[in-house]
Amino acid sequence: MTARSLQSGAPARERAATPSIWSRIWQNDAPGYLFLLPWLIGFIGLTVGPMVTSLYLSFTDFDLLTSPDWVGADNYIRMFTNDAKFWTSMRVTMFFVIFSVPLKLAFALAVAMLLNRGIRGLPLYRALFYLPSLLGASVAIAILWRQIFAGDGLVNKLLLLVGIEGPSWISNPQYSLWTLIVLSIWQFGSPMIIFLAGLRQIPTDMYEAASLDGASKWRQFIKITLPLLTPVVFFNAIIQTIEAFKSFTPAFIISGGTGNPINSTLFYTLYLYQEAFAFFRMGYASALAWVLLAVVGVFTAFSFFTSKYWVHYDE
Amino acid sequence: MTIRIDRRHFLMGSSALIAAGAAGISPAFAQAERLRLLFWGGQARADRTYAVTDLYQAAKGTDVEGEFLAWNDYWPKLATQTAGGNAPDIIQMDYRYIVEYAQRNAIAPLDEFVGGALKLDDFDADQLEGGKVDGSLYGISLGANSVALMVNTTAFEEAGVAAPTRDLTYDEIMAMGEAFNSANVRGGMKVIMDGSGSEPMLDNWLRQKGLALYTADGKLGFDADAMTEWFQLWSQMREAGVCVSAEDQALDTGPHETTMLVLGKAAMMPSNSNQLVGFQAVMQDDITISSYPRLAAGVGGGHYRKPSMFFSVAGSSANKEAAAEFLSFFVNDPEAAAVLGVERGIPCSAAVRDAIAPTLSEQDQIALNFVANLGDLLGPLPPSPPAAAGEIDISLLRTLSQEVGFGARSPEDAGPYFVKEATAILNRA
Repeated sequence: MTARSLQSGAPARERAATPSIWSRIWQNDAPGYLFLLPWLIGFIGLTVGPMVTSLYLSFTDFDLLTSPDWVGADNYIRMFTNDAKFWTSMRVTMFFVIFSVPLKLAFALAVAMLLNRGIRGLPLYRALFYLPSLLGASVAIAILWRQIFAGDGLVNKLLLLVGIEGPSWISNPQYSLWTLIVLSIWQFGSPMIIFLAGLRQIPTDMYEAASLDGASKWRQFIKITLPLLTPVVFFNAIIQTIEAFKSFTPAFIISGGTGNPINSTLFYTLYLYQEAFAFFRMGYASALAWVLLAVVGVFTAFSFFTSKYWVHYDE
Repeated sequence: MTIRIDRRHFLMGSSALIAAGAAGISPAFAQAERLRLLFWGGQARADRTYAVTDLYQAAKGTDVEGEFLAWNDYWPKLATQTAGGNAPDIIQMDYRYIVEYAQRNAIAPLDEFVGGALKLDDFDADQLEGGKVDGSLYGISLGANSVALMVNTTAFEEAGVAAPTRDLTYDEIMAMGEAFNSANVRGGMKVIMDGSGSEPMLDNWLRQKGLALYTADGKLGFDADAMTEWFQLWSQMREAGVCVSAEDQALDTGPHETTMLVLGKAAMMPSNSNQLVGFQAVMQDDITISSYPRLAAGVGGGHYRKPSMFFSVAGSSANKEAAAEFLSFFVNDPEAAAVLGVERGIPCSAAVRDAIAPTLSEQDQIALNFVANLGDLLGPLPPSPPAAAGEIDISLLRTLSQEVGFGARSPEDAGPYFVKEATAILNRA
C-alpha cells in the first residue's frame, strides 16, 4: 500500500494501476496513432482499399457502367492462353527492362566515377546531371523526345552533317523502343547520386595501397571499387528494375497512347491502361495489374536470392 | 511565448473541425437549379459553349456549370463518374457510345419532354432518328456533319494540279500522285496520306461497294476478300509513292499537329466536315474540303449525314426536365445558335440554319454547303456501331495497316487476319 499512497488519488490513475492491456495501449499510444491518422487514412483509403478492390475486380467482368460479374479465374486463364497482346506487351516491357536497366546503371556509374575525381564545381555538375531525372518522366520531355527523334528532327539533322540519312526513329518499329531506352538512360541522375555517395564511402587508403603494389586503374576498379560498391549496385538495380517495369508516360505520350508503330512500344502498363480506360475492361485490367505485381515480385525476390553470391557487405 | 494545447482540447478541436467539414459538404446536395455539363472538345468549343451557358443563365436564371476535356480523356472520366453515381446532368454523347450508355440506363430517354420542355418541331428527321436507341430518343443531335477530305489548295497550285472535285476517284488520285512527285512539291510532299488505317475511309469505300462496316446486329459487314482488296489498294499507292510512307504515317498519333496535312507531308487527308475550321486555324496554307474519292465515276452512296455529337441527359440526373429545357435552348435559341456557328456541325433546326446563314465565316459556309449538297454521294445512315468498334479501330485496323505498310504482313495475309481478329473481339464484348 505504500506504493499506492505515493500516487495521487485521481480515479484515472486508480484504473491505470490495474490496467488491462488495451487501456494501456490506448493511454500510451493514442497520441501516436492520432498523429499517424492522416497517413493511415490515406494508406488504407487510397492504397490498401483500392488494392483489395482491384484484387476482387480481377476475378470479375466489370465495364464501369454495370455492376461487376464474378467470372472466377477467367481473366487470368484468358491472359495466359488466349491473348496475343498480353505476350506482346510482356515482351516489349521485358526487352525494355533488360536493356534499359543495365545500360542506365553502367552510364550512371561511369558519370559518378568521373564526378568523384574531386573536380571543381562538382555541385553544379551534379545538379546538371540530375536535372534529366527530375524532368525525364514528364510529358514535356516526352514531347521534346518526339521532336528530337522524328524524321526531320535534331538527331537526323546532326547525322546529315556526317552524311548519314537517318530513319524516323520514333515511328519506325525497328528503332522506336530504342528511343525509349535511350530516354530512360538519359535519366541516370538518381542512381548516379547514389553511386556517388557509395564511391565516397570507399576508403582512399585501399587505392593507395593498391597503387603501391602496382595495380592498374582498371584492376583497382575491378578489385576494389566494384566489390565495395555492390550493395549500392544492388539497391540501384532493384529500384531501377521496378521503375522500368512501371514505366508508362514516355510510351504513352510518344505513341499517342497506342503503343504503335506495330505495337513496338506497347508497354505492359500501356496495354493495361488501354484495357481499363479505352476498352473499359476494368476486371481484365485489374488482373493484368496483379500479374505485373507478381512478375515484379518474382524479379525482386530473385535478385535478393542471388544477392548473397555477389553483394559484399563490408562488415 | 509558447502555446500549449493539451490532448483533450486538441481532440475537441479536431472533432469540431471534422464536423465543420462534414457540414460544409452537405449543402451542396441540396441545390436544385444547378446543372452540370460535361463535353469533349478544344478551347474554341469551350468558349462557344460557355457563352451559351451565360446566355441561359441570363435568360432563365439556371446555372449550367460546364467542364471540358480532350476526346481521349473524356470517356474514362465520364465512365468513372457514371460508375461512381456522380454523372453530370448533361452529357455530350457520340454515335459510337450512345447505344452502350442507353442500354445501361446511364442516359435517360427524353421522349416524355418532347413538345414540353424540349421543342423539336422543325428538327431534321434524320438527325432525330440518329439519336434514337430501340425507338426511344436518347440524344439530341448538335449538328449534322459528314466525312470530308481536307484539301491543301495551296499545295495543289504549287504542283500545278487541279484541286479535286466531288467526282474524284481513287484512280485519279494515282494520276495526281504522279504529277505531285514529278513536280517535287516542297521536297517530296505526297498527294494523300496513307488512309489504309482510317476507319471512316474504309467505311466509305465499303459502302460504295454496297457493303457496310457493321451490320445492324453488330457483326462485320464484309469479308476477308474485301479487306484484302482494301490493303492492296493502299499498298499500290504506297509503292508508287502516291501516298506517304509507312514511317511518315506512323508519326500521326491523332492530334491535329501530328497529322500528315499539318506536317506538310500530304496534300489531302480524310477527316470530317466540321473540322475544317480547326485545321485551317493551325495552317498557313489555304484549306478546303471535298468528298472522299469514288470507287469509279458515277459510284456514290458512301457518305452520310451523321449527327456529329449529341447532348444526352444522365439516367441518374435529379433534374431531367431542367436539363431538357437547357437542351431545347441550346439547339433552338437564335442567339445561342449565332454563338455556336457550325463548330459542332450544321444546326439541325431549319429556322436556326436560316437565321445564322448570313453571319457565317467563309470556312463555315464551305462546310455548310458541303453537307447540304452531297447529292448522289449521300447514302442512308448506317446503324450505330457495336460497342467493340472502337477497339477494332484502335487496336486492330490501325496496327494492321502499319504491319502492311512496313511490310511485316502482306495484304493477302492481312485481310483474313483482320476478319478473324475482329470477329473474336466482337464475340468477346
